[in-house]
Amino acid sequence: MMPQRHSHDEEHHGIDLAPMLDFVFNLLIFFIIITSFVKQAGVKIIPSDADTAEHRDSGNILIAVRANGEIWMDRKKVSLPEVRAMVERMHAERPDDTVVIQADKLSESGIMSKVMEQVQAGGIATVSVGTKGEGG
Amino acid sequence: MRRMSNAVDEGDDEDHGIDLAPMLDFVLNLLIFFIITAIFVKEVGLTLSTPPPSNNAKKTDNDDSTMYIAVRANGDIVVDQRLIDKASVRPNVERFKGEKPEGSVIVVANTKSPTGIVVGVMDEVRKGGIMNVSIAPTNTSRTQ
Repeated sequence: MMPQRHSHDEEHHGIDLAPMLDFVFNLLIFFIIITSFVKQAGVKIIPSDADTAEHRDSGNILIAVRANGEIWMDRKKVSLPEVRAMVERMHAERPDDTVVIQADKLSESGIMSKVMEQVQAGGIATVSVGTKGEGG
Repeated sequence: MRRMSNAVDEGDDEDHGIDLAPMLDFVLNLLIFFIITAIFVKEVGLTLSTPPPSNNAKKTDNDDSTMYIAVRANGDIVVDQRLIDKASVRPNVERFKGEKPEGSVIVVANTKSPTGIVVGVMDEVRKGGIMNVSIAPTNTSRTQ
């Protein structure tokens, strides 16, 4: 009738939560990392259509070019020279980042080319243009 | 006697570990929050490349390992001084590929041309079998 021994051999009522907690923690860490690693542009654009587009899993710096020529990056409107500075900073933080330019299908292609130049001057060679693939 | 009333028993018996339930609630809430706010980036795209600098300098028609496709400011597509529509880009590229299997394609896009057309042309070129396609911006209204 000693409480200590009693609790030892008594049957547990609940499930053992520890493995579940481990699992949930892993999920949590995964999602925290995912959210912080992607630099969203912050505006909606209509991408061009392309059937031969490839998936770019590592494309995590997104630069949007709107139909009116505005450039958006990291939820801020930026000017063309600022693109280079921001890309340099992000490149220094995580060198394996790649850039996806999300150019609106009605924007002038010259802006896309200039943004691409700035990104490459900023040190990131792999630049792709975001499209609407066959998957939508 | 205590054995009989297990529900009461559990209440006053001392637990050895910490009670994980409130922490688990909290962590689950955090998890749900991050799942909801997580943005799954399924970016698809075409890799952009600029033509090699040597090509930029001498952009001549007799450099015959390179096919030039011009896109005018109004969206017209010009190949070999012929105005073609988007659907005929692919047969043109396929014919070029038949002649020069190692050839590359440069899309000479006017800076004012719509991105959708330029990307569409690049897509057609890739469908035609030439993956080595780069984009060169131009300011001139003259298209070769």
